[in-house]
Amino acid sequence: MITEICFEDVLLESAKEVFETMIYMSVEQCPDCITVEGETLLGSITFTGSIEGCMAICCDKDCAKTIACNMLAMEGDDGISQDEIRDAVGEIANMLLGSLKASLLKKNVGNLDVSIPCVVSGRELTSSLGEGSVEIIMPIYIDESVAELILQYRIAK
Amino acid sequence: MAKSLLLVDDSATMRKIILRTLRMAGLDIDSFEEAGDGNEALEKLKDKPVDIILCDINMPGMGGLEMVKEVRKMDSCADTKIVMISTESAEELIEGVLADGANGYVTKPFTPESIQENLSPFMN
Ligand SMILES: [Mg+2]
Repeated sequence: MITEICFEDVLLESAKEVFETMIYMSVEQCPDCITVEGETLLGSITFTGSIEGCMAICCDKDCAKTIACNMLAMEGDDGISQDEIRDAVGEIANMLLGSLKASLLKKNVGNLDVSIPCVVSGRELTSSLGEGSVEIIMPIYIDESVAELILQYRIAK
Repeated sequence: MAKSLLLVDDSATMRKIILRTLRMAGLDIDSFEEAGDGNEALEKLKDKPVDIILCDINMPGMGGLEMVKEVRKMDSCADTKIVMISTESAEELIEGVLADGANGYVTKPFTPESIQENLSPFMN
């Protein structure tokens, strides 16, 4: 039953899998009062299936740069372009949803079709899901940086 | 014997990660080409068939599932091995693409070990 799934746990496990396996960065949940400040990047990807919605990661630009440098195994961060940073954040969103989907498959949610990731400057993820939708915002530490995992979903009609 | 390789993924970051992982896994690759989607990959294959294609599924333009079918129509790529690397993990989807002509499947996120394990049968 979808209503019995703890999406917070699934979300955190997905983030740990992606960051620890592919990027060699640690992930811990941090207190809810901590939020991402300043100029931010938002990588999001939508899905449809027995549940539908959107998953996103939001972090400040320094955190995004650190993540991208780790992904590319760069020593310093001087040579990295804005395009590379955006591409890295998009691919993180893609892998996060991939990992989330795999966990949900094991919980018999069925397969979800996913979009191509989208990366924008800013932090507002507007939901068009309407009534009956659920939003989870989970602040996490990625090494020492703060990011937010966002999941909006509803059970499809 | 060293192999030629075509890496197809819409994310340039992911292409770099995969290339680095191949090096870490010690696989013997002598020539290496990249493409950002299936259409670009097919263009490159027309000019120059390769031994191994590593292919993402979720890409704008032509995705990986369609690309596998197209590659399997090309006589020049009859011996080419195709290994999918994707965040998709549904069994039916994996079985489907293997039936369509892919030779291996690695799920993202991946480890160097899983890449090595899936590619080493095609390296001899
Ligand atoms: Mg992709």
